[in-house]
Amino acid sequence: MTHTPNRVFRRLAWVALALPLAAATAAAQGPPQGAPRSPYQEAGTLPARIMDFKVEPASIRPGQSVTLSWATENPRSVSISPDVGRAAPRGQMTLSPARTTTYTLTVTGVNGTQSRAVTVTVAGTTAAAPAAAAAASGPAPAPRALDGKPDLTGVWGYGAGPGRGAPPPAPGSLPRTPTLKPGAEKYRVQRGPEDTGLYSTCEPPGVPQTFFVPYYVQVIQSPKYVVILHEYLHLFRVIPTDGSAHPPDPDPSWMGHSVGRWEGDTLVVDSVGFNDRTEINGYRHSEALHVVERFRRPTRDTLEYEAVIEDPNVFAGPWLITRTFPLLPEFNRVDEFFCENNRDYKPLFGK
Amino acid sequence: MRGSIGRRGFLTGLVGIAGLWQAVEAHHSTAMYDMANPKTVKGTVKRFEWTNPHAFIFIEVSEGGGPPVEWEIELMSLNHLRSYGWVRTTVKPGDVITCTGGAAKSGAPSMICAVVELPDGRKIRS
Repeated sequence: MTHTPNRVFRRLAWVALALPLAAATAAAQGPPQGAPRSPYQEAGTLPARIMDFKVEPASIRPGQSVTLSWATENPRSVSISPDVGRAAPRGQMTLSPARTTTYTLTVTGVNGTQSRAVTVTVAGTTAAAPAAAAAASGPAPAPRALDGKPDLTGVWGYGAGPGRGAPPPAPGSLPRTPTLKPGAEKYRVQRGPEDTGLYSTCEPPGVPQTFFVPYYVQVIQSPKYVVILHEYLHLFRVIPTDGSAHPPDPDPSWMGHSVGRWEGDTLVVDSVGFNDRTEINGYRHSEALHVVERFRRPTRDTLEYEAVIEDPNVFAGPWLITRTFPLLPEFNRVDEFFCENNRDYKPLFGK
Repeated sequence: MRGSIGRRGFLTGLVGIAGLWQAVEAHHSTAMYDMANPKTVKGTVKRFEWTNPHAFIFIEVSEGGGPPVEWEIELMSLNHLRSYGWVRTTVKPGDVITCTGGAAKSGAPSMICAVVELPDGRKIRS
């Protein structure tokens, strides 16, 4: 069982935060005296556990079904074998085993791996032999749509990028950080100590920044459209792939206007028509922003993403952001995310 | 380019790092909370707001013999809470819970909570 990549990255990020904060404490207050542990450090040490794992009913006749339900806490990864694979931290599902079967729930956390088993007895059958460990046959291939294109459909986790596990840029590729045009320094975002950040206003992050928030993304592909559903803020993009062109003068919008085309196995999405109210990795932009994204699914479990950013009013030339998003087979839809309970945090700073 | 970086610049840089981290990990920075000096409060749950972009628990806390104070406990968003195993009934009104996190720098009874200890003693990320 491998760790869910996004969880690994999240934990690495916790450490990345905790260490500089500890350093800041030491710098500001001198040597620590019984130095308190960061609350998030403690959170990272909490043991995973199985709260519940059951099957109902425990005995059936051939052709009948059972409901498997489970609950875990503080997991890094959850899986059920056989027949299920990766699982959400809590869930239930209906199964119709053809013969007596023992299902095993396995949870991995900072405290190692724990398992619990339940058996469904199917009348008149004998127990299935335990499944042999899968032979190492390499990653599963990406599924294909009926038209032969790679099918990008799926729920994808937030991904790796520079500093988060992505490979370094290939020689000769575009720069990963922009060079500002002379006089465009004002487009570099400077945050004061009481700035609560890009996302605290619940405004749409735009393209490509909405891919860089820690929320899942669902892709739904048809022969004429690719639809991207961001869980974060319910943002969506409908991208025609039927040869449609951009309108001649699109109204500036948060997520822009996108059209797509296939270049071999790569979906290329061209987007214009943005407003100038979003940021990209610490830089503002003008309404002349032009983003070209490329999506590839080299294996079943991986969505490769790159975005080439251009803005002739701001940047000296195009620059590149890449990510790799992991497939989350345990989910078939993104959750609702309505920004209904946001806060004004300014009063909490005090003086 | 900047010249020498003084302590203020150093700390601002760290805030920047924290901000960058927050950009990928949470909905907002934690700069309004004192994360370097963890705070633990124990109280009785009055209500649980199972909402985005953050969930909140309101607990009544009695400290130092004074009258009870209602603390506002901020948790992560629902997506993250679910990934830790939370459901909307994980805490219920009347439960006595303990929250550990960073309290508001202003002194207001408000905190962001990283660990919740439930009535039966088990701890869960938050």
